Amino acid sequence: MKWTELSVLTSSEAVEAVSNILIESGAEGVQIDDSKDFEKLMQDNLSGYDFGLVEHQIEGAKVSAFFPEIVFIPEILPVIQSKVNQLVDFGLNIGQGLIESTEVDDQGWGLEWQQYYHPVRVTRFLTIVPSWEKYEPSQLDEKVIRLDPGKAFGTGTHPTTRLALVALEQVIRGGETMIDVGTGSGVLSIAAKHLGVGQIDAYDLDDIAVEAAVLNFDLNPVASDVHVAANDLLNGIEKKVDLIVANILSEIIVPLIPQAKNSLNSGGYFVTSGIITDKVNLIKSSLINGGFEIQQILNMGDWFSIIAVKMDSEG
Amino acid sequence: MAKTVANVVKLQIPAGKATPAPPVGPALGQAGINIMGFTKEFNARTADQAGMLIPVVISVYEDRSFDFVTKTPPAAVLLKKAAGVESGSGEPNTKKVATVTSAQVQQIAETKMQDLNASDVESAMRMIEGTARSMGFVVEG
Repeated sequence: MKWTELSVLTSSEAVEAVSNILIESGAEGVQIDDSKDFEKLMQDNLSGYDFGLVEHQIEGAKVSAFFPEIVFIPEILPVIQSKVNQLVDFGLNIGQGLIESTEVDDQGWGLEWQQYYHPVRVTRFLTIVPSWEKYEPSQLDEKVIRLDPGKAFGTGTHPTTRLALVALEQVIRGGETMIDVGTGSGVLSIAAKHLGVGQIDAYDLDDIAVEAAVLNFDLNPVASDVHVAANDLLNGIEKKVDLIVANILSEIIVPLIPQAKNSLNSGGYFVTSGIITDKVNLIKSSLINGGFEIQQILNMGDWFSIIAVKMDSEG
Repeated sequence: MAKTVANVVKLQIPAGKATPAPPVGPALGQAGINIMGFTKEFNARTADQAGMLIPVVISVYEDRSFDFVTKTPPAAVLLKKAAGVESGSGEPNTKKVATVTSAQVQQIAETKMQDLNASDVESAMRMIEGTARSMGFVVEG
């Protein structure tokens, strides 16, 4: 898909107003490169960071927005230009007040970071390897997960994924049945298969995630029998399993808790990850009130993962 | 040894709903950081303000690790909230859609002072007032 980047060259003073003009013209957001922001950053540099490599505006500011190809640029460009020019009437210095227009192809940006993505040993047993890299395990018990993160999915190396992987290593004994809620790239299901889990059902609300998971299961023969489908959390899922894993946002974990209780066998594990510091207590209390016993809380930086067990008395 | 910053990216994007689409994708892809890693973290940290446009400054280090800080909402967002309207005027010179008081402008200027590139509250107020007028707001008092 092609996009048009419109960049308004202006003054620091007009950044807020110009940003609003672009947003009200239909942009989803803006990028701001303000020379005064950079000056401030250098002045406040208490940590002594080296900013020598940073490219930035030397004077004034540049506010950029992107418009998809369905937007007819020759129609909106003069309107935006006129609104920028008008800012003078409202007492703002617009600096150069010029608008630059550049066509951008979306193929590039999703792939740019791949040059920095290399195999990572993420846990005791698991190594994540980008699909385009050659890699041989260096130890007998090292398990390799091949991932093509595509444009929309993570590399499997984010703390939330790492914590979920460590938690899976702790609870899996072999032969369990499992549901992976919000599978994304499918990394947790692939890891679970490596660790000995039996049948896995992987669900994601997003069709693009389902496609990415299918692609990644194909890259990892161990996960070839994982059943993957589009589904909203556990709505309509009636089977019971031994283990449920969900690496999703805290706001989504809360409504998932009663569903997970219904879908787990007695004594089954519920592994949740994606929990940021200020939500830990909320998730803990929701789990306890929902009939789970907290077995372990894992932490990496600001992120937490919780291993909970469905209490026997809950049947 | 001082940590080397490779890039500093400032965006205004919807809290709790950032996606790899522009402006996030091109800005962060170019900076060499994992776009999904950022959106996941940003959405988790800003979920409480979901939908509101939030400025965020992302520091990208030489090893392509990153951290970010969110800033006070844009002036336009605070002005619309103060005036109780959803959007500004398409013709701000002729069609006025809302009124804000100088006291409200001052309050917004003080709230945003730390994030505006203004030397004092008066120049911050001038920026906010100009933004308000550019949205078709009448500034009273």
